[in-house]
Amino acid sequence: MIPAQFDYIAAKSLDDALSLLAKHKDDAKLLAGGHSLIPAMKLRLMQPGVLIDISKIKDLSYIREEGGHVRIGALTTHYQIESSDLLRRICPLLPETATHLGDVQVRNRGTIGGSLAHADPAADWPAAILALDAELVVAGGKGERVIKAEDFFVELLTTALKPGEILREIRFAVPKGKVGQSYAKFRHPASGFAVVGVAVSLTKDGSGKCQSAGVGVTGVSAKPYKAKGVENALKGSALDGKSLSAAAAHAADGVEANADLFASAEYRKHLAEAYTRRALDAAVSRAGK
Amino acid sequence: MKIEGSHTLQSARDSVFAALTDPNVLQKCIPGCEELEKTGDNQYKARLSAGVGTIKAVFTATVFMEEVRPPSHYKLVVEGKAQPGFVKGTGSLDLEEQDGGTLIKYTGEVNVGGMLASVGQRMLQATASMLAGRFFSALAAETKAKAIG
Amino acid sequence: MAEKYVGKSVKRTEDPRLIQGLAHYVDDIKLPDTAHAAFLRSIYAHAHIKSLDVGAARRAPGVLAVFTGLEASGAIGPVPCAAALPGLKVPDYRVLATNKVCFVGQPIAVVVAENKYAARDAVDLIQVEYEELPVVLNEEKAAQGGPVIHEKFGTNIAYTLTAGEGDIEAALKSADKIVKQKILHRRLAPVAMEPRGVLARYYPGEQELTLWTSTQIPHLARTQIAIMLGMPENKLRLIAPEVGGGFGSKLNVYAEEALMGWISMELDRPVKWIETRRENMQATIHGRGQTGYIEVGCKKDGTITGLRYNVYADMGAYFQLLTPAIPTLTGLMLSGCYKIPAIQMNATGVFTNKVATDAYRGAGRPEATYVVERAMDLVAAELGLDAVAVRRKNFPAPFGGDKPFKTATGLFYDSGDYELTLKKALDMANYPKLREDQKRARNEGRIVGIGVSTYVEICAIGPSAAAPAGGWESATVRIEPTAKVTILTGCSPHGQGQETSFAQLAGDHLGVNINDVTVIHGDTAIVQYGIGTFGSRGTAVGGTAVYMALEKLNEKATKLAAHILEAGSAPVTFQDGKFSAQVKGENKSITIQEVALAAHLARNLPPDMEPGLSATSFFEPKNFTFPFGSHIAVVEIDRDTGEIHFQRYIAVDDCGKVINPLLVHGQVHGGIVQAIGQALYEEVVYDDQGQLVSGTLMDYAVPRAEMVPWMELDRTETPSPVNPMGVKGVGEAGTIGATPAVVSAVIDALSPFGVRHMDMPIKPEDVWRIINKKSAGAA
Repeated sequence: MIPAQFDYIAAKSLDDALSLLAKHKDDAKLLAGGHSLIPAMKLRLMQPGVLIDISKIKDLSYIREEGGHVRIGALTTHYQIESSDLLRRICPLLPETATHLGDVQVRNRGTIGGSLAHADPAADWPAAILALDAELVVAGGKGERVIKAEDFFVELLTTALKPGEILREIRFAVPKGKVGQSYAKFRHPASGFAVVGVAVSLTKDGSGKCQSAGVGVTGVSAKPYKAKGVENALKGSALDGKSLSAAAAHAADGVEANADLFASAEYRKHLAEAYTRRALDAAVSRAGK
Repeated sequence: MKIEGSHTLQSARDSVFAALTDPNVLQKCIPGCEELEKTGDNQYKARLSAGVGTIKAVFTATVFMEEVRPPSHYKLVVEGKAQPGFVKGTGSLDLEEQDGGTLIKYTGEVNVGGMLASVGQRMLQATASMLAGRFFSALAAETKAKAIG
Repeated sequence: MAEKYVGKSVKRTEDPRLIQGLAHYVDDIKLPDTAHAAFLRSIYAHAHIKSLDVGAARRAPGVLAVFTGLEASGAIGPVPCAAALPGLKVPDYRVLATNKVCFVGQPIAVVVAENKYAARDAVDLIQVEYEELPVVLNEEKAAQGGPVIHEKFGTNIAYTLTAGEGDIEAALKSADKIVKQKILHRRLAPVAMEPRGVLARYYPGEQELTLWTSTQIPHLARTQIAIMLGMPENKLRLIAPEVGGGFGSKLNVYAEEALMGWISMELDRPVKWIETRRENMQATIHGRGQTGYIEVGCKKDGTITGLRYNVYADMGAYFQLLTPAIPTLTGLMLSGCYKIPAIQMNATGVFTNKVATDAYRGAGRPEATYVVERAMDLVAAELGLDAVAVRRKNFPAPFGGDKPFKTATGLFYDSGDYELTLKKALDMANYPKLREDQKRARNEGRIVGIGVSTYVEICAIGPSAAAPAGGWESATVRIEPTAKVTILTGCSPHGQGQETSFAQLAGDHLGVNINDVTVIHGDTAIVQYGIGTFGSRGTAVGGTAVYMALEKLNEKATKLAAHILEAGSAPVTFQDGKFSAQVKGENKSITIQEVALAAHLARNLPPDMEPGLSATSFFEPKNFTFPFGSHIAVVEIDRDTGEIHFQRYIAVDDCGKVINPLLVHGQVHGGIVQAIGQALYEEVVYDDQGQLVSGTLMDYAVPRAEMVPWMELDRTETPSPVNPMGVKGVGEAGTIGATPAVVSAVIDALSPFGVRHMDMPIKPEDVWRIINKKSAGAA
């Protein structure tokens, strides 16, 4: 479990990191928390020539509420999100999701930006940011651009980030009104990754009907996705048992599901529905308050 | 591990089959194929830079075509070796005419060994289906380009 | 002797150093100038090595040497197998493959470099050209033909063996019903927290080799490695430092151990190798691996008339120390805790293109218990009887003392009262109420199951006549001049807690504080020859040797005390560390510490007494011991997803006299956790090319705390007549008793769906398919 040789450079700032990345190109990998990268390097599945350590860049780790938006710096650790009083108050989905992620040591080191950029098909964060319709702010040599969460995950372990770009921030509108959120996860008994993970963020209108709904699903297929069939079925629905079941039935619509030693594609699709229903139940019950 | 699936191409069956057995086209379609050099009848040596996301490896590979029965069937065998292990893939392709286009049905077997087998289990199936998808999209583009050209 | 310590939950004296990270495992031992080794291992399950080019690796920076099979296998003898069976075909297992590899992970070459990084880098520079050969993986199919792994044998069958007594044909013929079931015991990875590791250092002047290795059997390993290296046994010092778990996987002698010794002699430098987890999954032995067929005959009332078990045992490609012997333990324990008049096991040991199987916690006995317990459940289901009633129907009456219970497998169980633990467990569970609750739950549409297992295991291995390399154990106890007590034990505890329990014995026997007792083990240069720690023998055999040495020591100390006190013929009593006698109407006394000093100063000894205060004993048990118990699992299944949730877990174990209840609980806890792993999660998976695809802890699921229920534990104490303390052993009880209880609970839950048997590990998807009547594998 020893990685191949590599050089290490600690970036002093985001600009420094961008120029290092421009210089070393494909030969370089960014090191944030390192909890996906380092294991892959130890297995020699990844053998970057240069590690650009961005973890020491101070101004990329924050959780702020500004102008109706929540902004989370890419280097914010899972634990910082889990323990954020602000998020517990205005977006409990994120702290809840964090508790499902790895273990205490992983949460202390691993970062939300690193996890998203790695795009493991069974990681937890993608479900949550899809449910929140978040935007990802990306810095590049030619300035910044914004990628919608649903456009960010391209395929297995592949994001819309272009060479030379760095994920800088995750932001989303503060959920308003009678908000109900939940993350329901079927944990793989060995890896702890999501066999299926479903994040829900919905709001009720005055009459108790569904006003808005965001549903993100991870673990089921090669890339996490927004369950639009579920979202559409929910909007305007009574949020009663019947409508929730009907909506959950769309959880894996049009999805080519993964199969592995633990769960077949058929079972995964079923779990997607079952766990969507669970996440919806919890979210609806929380939205009542 | 077994893989199977089907893809529909807009081009006529004869031209699809011709493309599938044309090393220049194959080189463009086999994901990550950087070199394809003929070493014998229906036999090629290849250099593949294949992988998913940032996990990539350079494979030295042999590519065989077997059971070549124009214009409806052939079998593609790729055996690649790289530092993290080896990959063996066989795919039997059956081409059917369909509304002026071509329906390609494939069944195959993918075996991996070494590090790839012992740590990649979780993503193997998704990777295989992704690489198959890339192959056929590239083939669609190639045959379409050919038809226009 | 006052029991101040024995029987009490004394906290483990080992724990402070373990908890604080202050213990010394092999990798914590640093010697100056140490070179580091890394292995190139086969990535094919079966292949000829057409060419092997180590030139680039040898030239790589920092590399000291690269050794291949050609060099090493000429210099080092084969990896040993100590099992002897009639007609056994023993493959020639070389420390490095020469011209052929037979499993993924088999070592081909070893790189030695200035540091572990250079060694690992150079491994990637070795070029191997393989010519793939067809593989055989399934033990049952491999027995019936197909490619042969070891050409010289012309077959993959390593041996066949028939065991058991009684007329099985007649017994089955006399039955009202015969129930048959195919049953799988899948391969398991032991996954000791500390992987294997070896550090070797050679002193050329003294011609002495020291090996620090993570082993359960320091002395046996020393003997075997000395033979492999062709060196005098007493020039090899083997030290098992702190060992981070073994579970049987380190009850072995591995190629890497001998290789490191040889390399340190070749290079005249210390050399270290620490196994990676991936190597541990690939190249350390696996456990279990049987495909079996049960045939059980019964009368209408549930009386068992006979049991036949035809089994194909997966050996792997080569033998490790005890590989072919493991199924013989299965055969011995097929009577379970029942009167079964006729038993037959027909075992076929089969070579496959996988790493060797060998002892893993329970070692052949969990397989037997699982077979018998599944058979009881199947009979109950067939006859429509309660599974508990069928068990009770077949229990023998309580036995013990000079009246053992003879089984049709040829064993004499030492003592047992199976109703005792069963009743206690059923009472704790409130079994009738559990069944009522289950009925109510079913009416509500819930899926609830109750599983009961009653087990007996064979421990304290064992009489030497029944052990491959001696079944006795040794101990030396001495009191130092400063009155500190040193115990040298021939067994080699590695997590069991005998540094504590043996100190408890000494504390009570000598009237000393246990903090004044040091237990030394695992160093062949310090400790007299011993056998090791495995087969739940540490306390029952090793502890008995300690007990006997303590008795001897007491005897001498008493004699000396009487002499010093000038007690003459007056009786000398010993209490709280003080010898007392009435001498000429005066109460005189002397402490054991004073006696110890007097023994060392030797100025005033009785004429026939040798100086010093030390005693050595070797204990040869006359029989095994047979602990037993009852486990009850209650599960509820999620109808929607098939997930299995524990509601309760109850275990009542009887391991004879208990020295430290805390240690017993710890052993039972750990055993149950591993049993739950086997029942619900763990499975070594090779794909159809022989690639190990469950090769990391991302895929191979060792249970975590959250997957384990609260355990309600209790015990009964039925002393063993086999040893003076009446202890039996408990190291493997949990893995033996719990697996069938958990499986039985899941099957009981699913019985309304027509289920009578499921193979382990029972995964949520399997359950979901049954509930939804879906066929497996449908995409």
